[in-house]
Amino acid sequence: MKYAQDICDSTQEIFSSMIMLDVSPGEPFKRDTSKLEHSVSGIIGLAGTVKGMLAIHLPNEAALAVTTAFLGMDVEEIDEDVCDAIGELANMLGGSIKSIIDPTGSDVQLSIPSAIHGEEYAVDCLADSESVTVPFTFNGQTFMVELQINQS
Amino acid sequence: MEFAKKIVETTEEIFSTMVFMDVSAGTPLSEGKQAIGCHISAMIGLTGGFSAMLSIHCPEAVGLSIAGAMLGMELKEVDADVKDALGEIANMVAGGLKERFATEDINLELAIPTTISGKSYTIASPTKSNRVIIPFNVESGQFFTEVKYNLG
Repeated sequence: MKYAQDICDSTQEIFSSMIMLDVSPGEPFKRDTSKLEHSVSGIIGLAGTVKGMLAIHLPNEAALAVTTAFLGMDVEEIDEDVCDAIGELANMLGGSIKSIIDPTGSDVQLSIPSAIHGEEYAVDCLADSESVTVPFTFNGQTFMVELQINQS
Repeated sequence: MEFAKKIVETTEEIFSTMVFMDVSAGTPLSEGKQAIGCHISAMIGLTGGFSAMLSIHCPEAVGLSIAGAMLGMELKEVDADVKDALGEIANMVAGGLKERFATEDINLELAIPTTISGKSYTIASPTKSNRVIIPFNVESGQFFTEVKYNLG
Protein backbone atom coordinates (compact mmCIF):
# COMPACT_ATOMS: atom_id res chain seq x y z
CA MET A 1 0.00 0.00 0.00
CA LYS A 2 1.21 3.46 -0.81
CA TYR A 3 3.11 5.16 2.06
CA ALA A 4 3.17 1.98 4.17
CA GLN A 5 6.92 1.60 3.75
CA ASP A 6 7.45 5.30 4.52
CA ILE A 7 5.45 4.92 7.74
CA CYS A 8 7.53 1.87 8.72
CA ASP A 9 10.81 3.66 8.00
CA SER A 10 9.85 6.90 9.75
CA THR A 11 8.38 5.21 12.82
CA GLN A 12 11.29 2.86 13.33
CA GLU A 13 13.77 5.68 12.85
CA ILE A 14 12.07 8.10 15.25
CA PHE A 15 11.52 5.45 17.90
CA SER A 16 15.07 4.16 17.78
CA SER A 17 16.80 7.55 17.65
CA MET A 18 14.54 9.65 19.93
CA ILE A 19 12.94 7.13 22.27
CA MET A 20 15.54 4.35 22.24
CA LEU A 21 12.87 1.76 21.53
CA ASP A 22 13.04 -0.87 18.80
CA VAL A 23 9.63 -1.29 17.24
CA SER A 24 8.58 -3.94 14.74
CA PRO A 25 6.04 -3.25 12.01
CA GLY A 26 3.15 -5.57 11.25
CA GLU A 27 0.95 -5.91 8.19
CA PRO A 28 -0.40 -2.55 6.85
CA PHE A 29 -4.19 -2.25 6.70
CA LYS A 30 -7.03 0.22 6.23
CA ARG A 31 -8.35 1.16 9.65
CA ASP A 32 -12.12 1.26 9.90
CA THR A 33 -14.15 3.57 12.10
CA SER A 34 -14.18 1.32 15.14
CA LYS A 35 -13.75 2.97 18.52
CA LEU A 36 -10.49 3.25 20.38
CA GLU A 37 -10.77 2.35 24.06
CA HIS A 38 -8.61 3.45 26.98
CA SER A 39 -6.23 4.97 24.47
CA VAL A 40 -4.26 8.06 23.58
CA SER A 41 -4.02 9.43 20.04
CA GLY A 42 -1.58 12.07 18.79
CA ILE A 43 -2.68 13.80 15.59
CA ILE A 44 -1.06 16.38 13.34
CA GLY A 45 -2.10 17.93 10.03
CA LEU A 46 -0.05 18.23 6.86
CA ALA A 47 -0.84 21.03 4.43
CA GLY A 48 0.47 22.54 1.21
CA THR A 49 0.84 20.69 -2.07
CA VAL A 50 -0.19 17.56 -0.14
CA LYS A 51 -2.96 17.69 2.48
CA GLY A 52 -3.35 15.04 5.09
CA MET A 53 -3.22 13.90 8.67
CA LEU A 54 -0.91 11.64 10.61
CA ALA A 55 -2.08 9.91 13.76
CA ILE A 56 -0.48 7.62 16.30
CA HIS A 57 -2.92 5.58 18.40
CA LEU A 58 -1.68 3.85 21.57
CA PRO A 59 -3.56 1.92 24.26
CA ASN A 60 -2.96 3.61 27.65
CA GLU A 61 -0.39 1.04 28.72
CA ALA A 62 1.69 1.57 25.59
CA ALA A 63 1.35 5.37 25.90
CA LEU A 64 2.73 5.21 29.45
CA ALA A 65 5.61 2.95 28.38
CA VAL A 66 6.53 5.21 25.45
CA THR A 67 6.34 8.37 27.57
CA THR A 68 8.46 6.76 30.30
CA ALA A 69 11.12 5.86 27.72
CA PHE A 70 10.89 9.27 26.01
CA LEU A 71 11.10 11.42 29.15
CA GLY A 72 13.40 9.13 31.11
CA MET A 73 11.04 9.20 34.09
CA ASP A 74 8.26 6.95 35.35
CA VAL A 75 4.74 7.99 34.44
CA GLU A 76 1.86 6.18 36.06
CA GLU A 77 -1.22 7.83 34.62
CA ILE A 78 -2.37 9.63 31.48
CA ASP A 79 -1.53 13.21 32.43
CA GLU A 80 -0.23 16.39 30.83
CA ASP A 81 3.27 14.90 30.41
CA VAL A 82 1.88 11.95 28.48
CA CYS A 83 -0.26 14.17 26.26
CA ASP A 84 2.69 16.44 25.55
CA ALA A 85 4.94 13.47 24.79
CA ILE A 86 2.44 11.82 22.43
CA GLY A 87 1.76 15.16 20.71
CA GLU A 88 5.51 15.65 20.29
CA LEU A 89 5.79 12.11 18.93
CA ALA A 90 3.12 12.89 16.32
CA ASN A 91 5.08 16.04 15.49
CA MET A 92 8.33 14.09 14.99
CA LEU A 93 6.65 11.38 12.92
CA GLY A 94 4.93 14.07 10.88
CA GLY A 95 8.27 15.76 10.28
CA SER A 96 9.85 12.51 9.17
CA ILE A 97 7.00 11.56 6.81
CA LYS A 98 6.93 15.11 5.46
CA SER A 99 10.60 14.95 4.51
CA ILE A 100 9.91 11.82 2.49
CA ILE A 101 6.79 13.19 0.77
CA ASP A 102 8.38 16.61 0.21
CA PRO A 103 12.20 16.37 0.06
CA THR A 104 12.51 20.07 -0.92
CA GLY A 105 11.11 20.97 2.48
CA SER A 106 9.15 23.91 1.17
CA ASP A 107 5.90 22.53 -0.20
CA VAL A 108 4.35 20.72 2.78
CA GLN A 109 4.14 22.04 6.34
CA LEU A 110 2.89 20.66 9.67
CA SER A 111 0.10 22.05 11.84
CA ILE A 112 0.30 22.06 15.63
CA PRO A 113 -0.32 18.58 17.12
CA SER A 114 -3.17 17.58 19.43
CA ALA A 115 -3.45 14.63 21.80
CA ILE A 116 -6.79 12.95 22.44
CA HIS A 117 -7.36 10.48 25.25
CA GLY A 118 -10.35 8.79 26.76
CA GLU A 119 -12.22 5.67 27.68
CA GLU A 120 -13.90 5.43 24.33
CA TYR A 121 -13.62 7.60 21.23
CA ALA A 122 -13.56 7.32 17.46
CA VAL A 123 -11.19 9.20 15.12
CA ASP A 124 -12.54 9.66 11.59
CA CYS A 125 -11.05 11.49 8.63
CA LEU A 126 -13.26 13.23 6.13
CA ALA A 127 -13.68 10.93 3.13
CA ASP A 128 -11.79 11.05 -0.14
CA SER A 129 -8.36 10.39 1.26
CA GLU A 130 -5.96 7.56 0.75
CA SER A 131 -5.45 5.92 4.11
CA VAL A 132 -3.04 3.35 5.48
CA THR A 133 -2.36 2.17 9.02
CA VAL A 134 0.65 0.20 10.19
CA PRO A 135 0.61 -1.67 13.51
CA PHE A 136 3.81 -1.85 15.58
CA THR A 137 4.91 -3.91 18.55
CA PHE A 138 7.56 -3.44 21.23
CA ASN A 139 8.07 -5.28 24.53
CA GLY A 140 4.70 -6.96 24.28
CA GLN A 141 2.91 -3.64 23.61
CA THR A 142 1.21 -2.51 20.42
CA PHE A 143 0.31 0.79 18.79
CA MET A 144 -0.69 2.01 15.30
CA VAL A 145 0.47 4.79 13.02
CA GLU A 146 -2.10 6.01 10.52
CA LEU A 147 -1.59 8.32 7.55
CA GLN A 148 -4.42 9.93 5.58
CA ILE A 149 -3.41 11.73 2.38
CA ASN A 150 -5.74 13.72 0.18
CA GLN A 151 -4.02 14.42 -3.10
CA SER A 152 -5.81 17.23 -4.91
CA MET B 1 -3.45 38.89 15.81
CA GLU B 2 -7.00 39.28 17.06
CA PHE B 3 -7.86 35.59 17.05
CA ALA B 4 -11.06 36.03 19.05
CA LYS B 5 -12.45 38.62 16.65
CA LYS B 6 -11.63 36.53 13.60
CA ILE B 7 -13.09 33.39 15.16
CA VAL B 8 -16.34 35.15 16.04
CA GLU B 9 -16.69 36.77 12.61
CA THR B 10 -15.92 33.60 10.68
CA THR B 11 -18.14 31.35 12.78
CA GLU B 12 -21.06 33.76 12.53
CA GLU B 13 -20.56 34.09 8.78
CA ILE B 14 -20.34 30.37 8.05
CA PHE B 15 -23.27 29.49 10.30
CA SER B 16 -25.47 32.14 8.77
CA THR B 17 -24.61 31.46 5.11
CA MET B 18 -24.00 27.70 5.04
CA VAL B 19 -25.77 26.23 8.06
CA PHE B 20 -28.66 28.71 8.21
CA MET B 21 -28.42 28.90 11.97
CA ASP B 22 -28.34 31.91 14.24
CA VAL B 23 -25.40 31.87 16.60
CA SER B 24 -24.38 34.36 19.25
CA ALA B 25 -20.87 34.47 20.62
CA GLY B 26 -20.24 34.39 24.36
CA THR B 27 -17.16 35.56 26.27
CA PRO B 28 -13.94 33.70 25.42
CA LEU B 29 -13.21 30.97 27.99
CA SER B 30 -10.37 31.72 30.35
CA GLU B 31 -6.88 30.38 29.68
CA GLY B 32 -6.51 26.69 30.29
CA LYS B 33 -10.19 25.98 30.60
CA GLN B 34 -11.32 23.22 28.30
CA ALA B 35 -14.63 22.80 26.58
CA ILE B 36 -16.31 20.12 28.66
CA GLY B 37 -19.28 17.89 28.10
CA CYS B 38 -18.65 17.56 24.37
CA HIS B 39 -19.23 14.38 22.42
CA ILE B 40 -18.11 15.39 18.96
CA SER B 41 -15.17 17.57 17.92
CA ALA B 42 -14.29 18.43 14.35
CA MET B 43 -10.64 19.44 13.98
CA ILE B 44 -8.46 20.72 11.16
CA GLY B 45 -4.80 21.73 11.11
CA LEU B 46 -3.54 25.03 9.70
CA THR B 47 0.02 25.91 8.84
CA GLY B 48 2.18 28.41 6.98
CA GLY B 49 2.59 31.80 8.63
CA PHE B 50 2.05 30.02 11.95
CA SER B 51 0.99 26.51 12.95
CA ALA B 52 -2.42 25.94 14.47
CA MET B 53 -5.41 23.66 14.85
CA LEU B 54 -9.03 24.73 14.76
CA SER B 55 -11.66 22.66 16.54
CA ILE B 56 -15.41 22.86 16.83
CA HIS B 57 -16.61 21.05 19.95
CA CYS B 58 -20.28 20.09 20.40
CA PRO B 59 -22.34 18.14 22.89
CA GLU B 60 -24.25 15.41 21.05
CA ALA B 61 -27.60 17.24 20.85
CA VAL B 62 -26.01 20.41 19.47
CA GLY B 63 -23.90 18.46 16.97
CA LEU B 64 -27.00 16.67 15.71
CA SER B 65 -28.96 19.92 15.34
CA ILE B 66 -26.12 21.70 13.53
CA ALA B 67 -25.57 18.82 11.08
CA GLY B 68 -29.32 18.50 10.68
CA ALA B 69 -29.68 22.21 9.84
CA MET B 70 -26.91 21.99 7.27
CA LEU B 71 -28.17 18.81 5.61
CA GLY B 72 -31.85 19.70 5.89
CA MET B 73 -32.78 16.51 7.73
CA GLU B 74 -33.45 15.35 11.25
CA LEU B 75 -30.60 13.29 12.65
CA LYS B 76 -30.92 10.91 15.56
CA GLU B 77 -27.36 9.74 16.22
CA VAL B 78 -23.78 10.70 15.50
CA ASP B 79 -23.20 8.80 12.26
CA ALA B 80 -21.06 9.30 9.15
CA ASP B 81 -23.37 12.08 7.86
CA VAL B 82 -23.02 14.06 11.09
CA LYS B 83 -19.25 13.63 11.16
CA ASP B 84 -18.94 14.67 7.52
CA ALA B 85 -21.15 17.74 8.06
CA LEU B 86 -19.27 18.94 11.13
CA GLY B 87 -15.93 18.21 9.45
CA GLU B 88 -17.04 20.30 6.50
CA ILE B 89 -18.07 23.15 8.82
CA ALA B 90 -14.65 23.06 10.48
CA ASN B 91 -13.12 23.15 7.01
CA MET B 92 -15.17 26.23 6.07
CA VAL B 93 -14.50 28.09 9.33
CA ALA B 94 -10.77 27.38 8.91
CA GLY B 95 -11.07 28.66 5.33
CA GLY B 96 -12.61 31.86 6.67
CA LEU B 97 -9.73 32.31 9.10
CA LYS B 98 -7.29 31.74 6.27
CA GLU B 99 -8.97 34.54 4.25
CA ARG B 100 -8.91 36.96 7.15
CA PHE B 101 -5.25 36.33 7.94
CA ALA B 102 -4.38 36.67 4.24
CA THR B 103 -5.52 40.31 4.37
CA GLU B 104 -2.75 40.79 6.96
CA ASP B 105 -0.19 39.09 4.69
CA ILE B 106 -0.16 35.96 6.82
CA ASN B 107 -0.62 32.97 4.51
CA LEU B 108 -2.05 29.73 5.79
CA GLU B 109 -2.79 26.34 4.28
CA LEU B 110 -5.43 23.91 5.53
CA ALA B 111 -4.91 20.20 6.24
CA ILE B 112 -7.89 17.81 6.21
CA PRO B 113 -10.72 17.64 8.79
CA THR B 114 -10.83 14.90 11.40
CA THR B 115 -13.67 14.22 13.79
CA ILE B 116 -13.29 12.86 17.28
CA SER B 117 -16.50 11.42 18.73
CA GLY B 118 -17.37 9.44 21.80
CA LYS B 119 -18.89 9.41 25.25
CA SER B 120 -15.73 10.40 27.04
CA TYR B 121 -12.61 11.99 25.64
CA THR B 122 -10.28 14.89 26.40
CA ILE B 123 -8.31 16.82 23.82
CA ALA B 124 -5.03 18.35 24.93
CA SER B 125 -2.81 20.83 23.15
CA PRO B 126 0.93 21.24 23.75
CA THR B 127 1.37 22.97 27.11
CA LYS B 128 3.58 25.63 25.54
CA SER B 129 0.96 26.65 22.96
CA ASN B 130 -1.66 29.39 23.04
CA ARG B 131 -5.38 28.77 22.83
CA VAL B 132 -8.53 30.78 22.34
CA ILE B 133 -11.96 29.18 22.98
CA ILE B 134 -15.18 30.98 22.16
CA PRO B 135 -18.57 29.58 23.19
CA PHE B 136 -21.49 30.11 20.82
CA ASN B 137 -25.12 29.90 21.81
CA VAL B 138 -27.65 28.24 19.53
CA GLU B 139 -31.20 27.09 20.10
CA SER B 140 -30.18 23.57 21.09
CA GLY B 141 -27.42 24.63 23.48
CA GLN B 142 -23.83 25.72 23.18
CA PHE B 143 -20.85 24.75 21.02
CA PHE B 144 -17.24 25.96 21.14
CA THR B 145 -14.84 27.13 18.43
CA GLU B 146 -11.26 26.79 19.56
CA VAL B 147 -7.95 27.73 17.96
CA LYS B 148 -4.66 26.47 19.38
CA TYR B 149 -1.58 28.04 17.89
CA ASN B 150 2.16 28.48 18.04
CA LEU B 151 3.74 31.60 16.59
CA GLY B 152 7.24 31.30 15.09
